[in-house]
Amino acid sequence: MSAVRKTPDWVAKVQNQSRLSFGFAVTDMAARDDKVVAVSADTLDLIGLREMVKAVPERVIEAGIAEQNAMGVASGLATTGMRPYLCGYAPFITARSMEQLRNDVAYAKQRVVIGAACSGITLGVSGGTHHAVEDLALMRSLPNMTVMVPADALEAWHLTQATESLDGPSYVRLGGRVEEVPVTAPDAAPVIGKATTLRRGTDIAVIACGVLVAEALKAADELAGEGIGVRVINMHTIKPLDRETVLAAAAETRGIVTAEEHHLTGGLGGAVAELVAEEHPVRMRFVGMPDEFCIVGPTPKVRERYGMTAGNIMAKCRELMG
Amino acid sequence: MARAKKSNREATLDNLRNEALKIRRNIWRALKAAGSGHMGGSLSAAEFLAALYFHHLKVRPAEPDWPDRDRFILSKGHANAALGAVLAQAGFIEDAVLDQFYAYESLFGMHPDIKMAGVEMSTGGLGHGLSIGLGMALGARLQKKKFRTIVMIGDGELQEGSNWEAAMAAAHQKVSNLTAILDYNKVQQSGHVSQMLTLEPVASKWSAFGWAVREVDGHDMDQVVTALDELPYEKDKPSMIIAHTIKGKGVSFAEDTHLWHNNMVPDDIYQKALAELGEPV
Repeated sequence: MSAVRKTPDWVAKVQNQSRLSFGFAVTDMAARDDKVVAVSADTLDLIGLREMVKAVPERVIEAGIAEQNAMGVASGLATTGMRPYLCGYAPFITARSMEQLRNDVAYAKQRVVIGAACSGITLGVSGGTHHAVEDLALMRSLPNMTVMVPADALEAWHLTQATESLDGPSYVRLGGRVEEVPVTAPDAAPVIGKATTLRRGTDIAVIACGVLVAEALKAADELAGEGIGVRVINMHTIKPLDRETVLAAAAETRGIVTAEEHHLTGGLGGAVAELVAEEHPVRMRFVGMPDEFCIVGPTPKVRERYGMTAGNIMAKCRELMG
Repeated sequence: MARAKKSNREATLDNLRNEALKIRRNIWRALKAAGSGHMGGSLSAAEFLAALYFHHLKVRPAEPDWPDRDRFILSKGHANAALGAVLAQAGFIEDAVLDQFYAYESLFGMHPDIKMAGVEMSTGGLGHGLSIGLGMALGARLQKKKFRTIVMIGDGELQEGSNWEAAMAAAHQKVSNLTAILDYNKVQQSGHVSQMLTLEPVASKWSAFGWAVREVDGHDMDQVVTALDELPYEKDKPSMIIAHTIKGKGVSFAEDTHLWHNNMVPDDIYQKALAELGEPV
């Protein structure tokens, strides 16, 4: 008998794309829970809902390109005891339907899970209209909201499944139509609100989320060669923030670098800074999108231009060592 | 002298008219307690609210969260004084709550709060209720429940584009368990709807969007009750009742003017309003 653990079937299916993980996880949950329903804003392929359409067509509500209505419908469904998973494009399902999100979902505290695909600058060539680099700031400012940024497709699957335990609304930030570098294990069991520490250095702490976790790991491994011990924390839940892990990093290292594919205003960096400023002030550096609208271009090149790279994380770490 | 005994229907209508009058008096009472408020759009909705809560809706005031209850959403949330009035009259909330309108920590603020018994959704931002109602109607269908959902919309509110997304989606979903009531009192905050941003031809718009549409005099209780009794109007279509109403109905100085959309209510105004409304039976 082989001692090698079998890789679960879903791992191949999600093709290292968190947007597909969300849809497949919802489909998986729908098979065992007849309250699970998907509401789609023209995202059947984008979010991997085709199998669910085949399995339980009545529980995939296609709302069309009409996010305001989709958000309200999801809220109304939730009031009746259904478990809606609302699937949309990150830039539109947040900003376009923000008032419905705030009033009908967050204020009314309904159990709606929002799956937001193509977040950050994953749609680099689409231009600023299609980038979502303020979504975390918007979501984080809403009371009752749980805000998650999976580091890869595997974690997206687990965090989506974990939303079953939530009482209020939540937001799962997902990637676009490109593969994400796997940084977590298929059998990892991320707990919402509890960060995972991927490297245990004590010189500098890098707190990253989403695709920047992979960059943080690269940076840590290179800096190890220079004798700098970097702690890498995968902050997959931005809200509620894992205070304990952040404050331990503040206490046990020389400084904190945050890294996110988001504006430097109001996202992960802001959340960490707000906490340490009050509880344990430390020197910080921030990696993310500066206060300007992003240029058009292939995503890897655009990420590089704005320093959302391992190289820039390393530079920030070195600054804090000095 | 022998008087002809009133028919059951006449007795029902009289009772509902009396409840509508009580709603109007309670609206002024709440506004007086608050010092100000939205009288115009609250007063125009009184007949439909009376007919809904004392005739049409299957609800249990003592068990507000009864899962099979019919749902009512006041999408024109600024008419919350009217909703509070009818919820108090129906026994969802204590009568004394009406004197807590706008009060510190009250659940009875300017706009409905889902935390208050009988309130199905927090509203106030306009153009939200119909989408939420559609979600409730779909929730009923998915769970094979018989409850119906009714959403009251304001006419100024219909200028919000989200309503039309919901209108399209509801027709597409063929939800005959969903009804919208348009409280068409013709006046919004800054003037007459026809001057601000007209809705006309509003009935044919809703028909074109795939709804079964009826128009009624929203202050004629006979027509109001018939409109509700005959729901749904067509198989596989959501229903729209266009209720032609008068903003500020029942108090002459407040009728058909935007000047009494939202106003101060000092004691002399309160007394004048109540005197015009008369005493309930």
